Amino acid sequence: MKRGLKWDTILRSKLFWAVVAEFLILLVGFIIRPDFLNIQIRTLEDGTRVLFGTPIDILNRSSEITIIAMGMTLVIALGGTDISVGALVAVSGAIALKFLRWDVLEYTTPGDYSVMPFVYVLVVPLVVCTLMGLFNGTLVARLKIQPIIATLILMVAGRGIAQIVTDGKQFTTQYAPFKFIGNGSILGIPLPIIITFVVVAAMVVFVRKTSYGMFVEAVGINPNASRVSGIRSAVIIMIAYVLTGLLSGISGLIYSSRIISNDSNNAGLGYEMDAILAVVLGGTSMTGGKFTLVGTVVGSIIIRTITTLVFYFGIVSEAIMAFKALIIAGVIVLQSEPVRRAIARRREKRHINLGGELHA
Amino acid sequence: MSGVILEMKGIDMAFPGVQALDGVDFSLRAGEVHALLGENGAGKSTLIKCLTGVHRMDAGTIFLEGKKILPNSPQEAQHLGISTVYQEINLCPNLTVAENIFIGRQPMRRGQIDWKTINRRSQELMRLMGVDIDVTLPLTTFSIAVQQMASIARAVDINARVLILDEPTSSLDEHEVARLFEVMRDLKARGLGIVFITHFLNQVYQIADRITVLRNGRLVGEYMADEINKLELVTHMIGKDMNVIYDLKKAPQEEGAPVVLEASNLGIPGKVEEISLHVKKGELLGFAGLLGSGRTETAEMLFGVVKPSKGSVSMNGEKLVASSPLDSIRRKMAFCPEDRKRDGIVAELSVRENIGLAVQALRGFMHPMKPQEQQKLADRFIRLLSIQTPDAEKKVGELSGGNQQKVILARWMATQPDLLILDEPTRGIDVGAKAEIQRLMLEMCIGGMGIIFISSELDEIIRCANRIIVMRDLEKAAELDGEDCQQADILAIIANEETEEAMAE
Repeated sequence: MKRGLKWDTILRSKLFWAVVAEFLILLVGFIIRPDFLNIQIRTLEDGTRVLFGTPIDILNRSSEITIIAMGMTLVIALGGTDISVGALVAVSGAIALKFLRWDVLEYTTPGDYSVMPFVYVLVVPLVVCTLMGLFNGTLVARLKIQPIIATLILMVAGRGIAQIVTDGKQFTTQYAPFKFIGNGSILGIPLPIIITFVVVAAMVVFVRKTSYGMFVEAVGINPNASRVSGIRSAVIIMIAYVLTGLLSGISGLIYSSRIISNDSNNAGLGYEMDAILAVVLGGTSMTGGKFTLVGTVVGSIIIRTITTLVFYFGIVSEAIMAFKALIIAGVIVLQSEPVRRAIARRREKRHINLGGELHA
Repeated sequence: MSGVILEMKGIDMAFPGVQALDGVDFSLRAGEVHALLGENGAGKSTLIKCLTGVHRMDAGTIFLEGKKILPNSPQEAQHLGISTVYQEINLCPNLTVAENIFIGRQPMRRGQIDWKTINRRSQELMRLMGVDIDVTLPLTTFSIAVQQMASIARAVDINARVLILDEPTSSLDEHEVARLFEVMRDLKARGLGIVFITHFLNQVYQIADRITVLRNGRLVGEYMADEINKLELVTHMIGKDMNVIYDLKKAPQEEGAPVVLEASNLGIPGKVEEISLHVKKGELLGFAGLLGSGRTETAEMLFGVVKPSKGSVSMNGEKLVASSPLDSIRRKMAFCPEDRKRDGIVAELSVRENIGLAVQALRGFMHPMKPQEQQKLADRFIRLLSIQTPDAEKKVGELSGGNQQKVILARWMATQPDLLILDEPTRGIDVGAKAEIQRLMLEMCIGGMGIIFISSELDEIIRCANRIIVMRDLEKAAELDGEDCQQADILAIIANEETEEAMAE
């Protein structure tokens, strides 16, 4: 009975089906090309040894979305959304590159130095993105503007600000420490994966070891009751948006380091939707309330797996988006309430038919 | 009395960990009002939900007019002639009364909605309910009572043969209840079978022909309403002797006990006129008055849920400045709000989390309670208040109303307040739980807590309160000594205004 019950809850959880979906997609990849799951160690020209293979690539490339989606999970659990994250990625990259290449007024060869101290390159973009998060949070928590409208402001303005910062120019750099963020590796593991791991771990600890997570859920489920119980919901909401801003900044640094350039028009394009999707695929409901950060990580990996799969099999580029959407639709159907319930019920029935003691 | 129209036999229904219904029989005759009684968790709602297809029962059969039925959804049940009106009004507030009555089954004419028929029929239906209103106005224009009538009109118009009223009177005042009963009598005369679920025993005697009592998922018995007295009935419902309930004694008052809470000239124009009051240590201050007389608004101002525009509140001699719930909690005040679902429970969180919520808010989220600490706190209150739950991890939303109320009470007791405001803590919960909550209140008073107790039920105020404030038309109408106060005195004060008006006319 006890074990049967546990299985029942697992079968009904969205996270479980997200994991199932991920394995199914990987399986499809493996069937079509058995080397899809291979991981090997390669030695680069400079002698460093790096893990190599599609699974590593998936993890590596999912970093930007995973990091942002950590914040997005909290925002969504509070019943909001933040659609400015993609623009903040562009802002972050623009500021970083501006500090690296303050000397360049025209397109020139990439320099292997930084004009400003490297600390500035790292810290200022994060500070600016955090402040932008604060701006979002203030609009939502204090001025009670609907989250989608409040964050729409920076979604539109952010890319403009990025353009202003860089005078509308695109810089490139060869400055090694900066390149290292998105392209380096430690002990063979690509740095973005390590950064993501640290961010996820820090967020999980912050959310579950303090009572912040419980307050987020309480406010997301019942704001009135939370207020009467003495929770200052404005502060809780504010923190979620500020964190999302900061995390978008980190994500922006990784992205701009990967392409060793800034790109106000394309950096972080569509990230808001991917981040929201990651949260939802992970099992957190758009209506707010209970959330799971680990689920969001799985969601983000699913999205990247699909993208990789699509690229891997050389589907014509025009069809990529449609194909991606098709798989995502499949995952969502698998996770939907009626389907989950039907599967759980089927199991239950079989249980009875087999003479299982449901009432025992 | 005519024949049986609905018969339920040997209904079994189990939820994980609980046998919610165990071989329950129930029968309903045409043209009768049949009260379904029992404590919270007795299985009343589960039985109804099996009947209306919300739950699928594990065993048992249902016959409607002799034919075996097995509804799979409320829609299907409705189609078969079983209509339900729930406690919370399930209509769309922004649509008109007529639209609400016909939504989902609009008569069409030449491919377009036939508004004329809708409005005319609605008007007729509402008139049958004894309500003559403009049905083309939005639902929210009207009182809760009228809205309730509209949902009954909707239910009845769909060819209902069985009408289930699930606590229809809990948000109505006395006049409205009387009108609802007229409608019920009328429907009864038209041959409908009505299942009436309520916690108000007086109402049962006013309207019901037969009574079925459930306890812990089992059938206790079926009685004719005029053959069983109230005491017997309650004894059947709670399964123990009623004397426990009537054995409550007021908290003794000490001379010169210090004042815990003092409010002076508190008010918001249009909501509550200036009100001044105080509560002493160990004193239970009762708050009587009709719904909308300013009771709840006063409580909300005291606790800082709404900001008073004038006046001041002080706790233990210190003035409250910020007018926010958190500030009040810091000054050792606590508040169980009237609307448990909206302002009280966080349904999806566990019992443990709900109990710890206010203590945690007081500490701030950066100073979390350790898991063991939370567990201990929850376990202590589950035992102390005998909250019925399999364990502390159960979602609060899955508990019965009375147990939810106890969880909220536990949340506040955990903050060890000096003053506790309880706004209708016993509304919508069963007799047994009611008595328990009253007993707890009195125990807390004896322990030195000051309590403000707001209730619509005068007898429980008179039974518990040391002092009584009567509210009328947004202001304090009188302050009475609780020791020698009669129900009639309070009623006279509440009614005063109306008589004056009548005289003026």
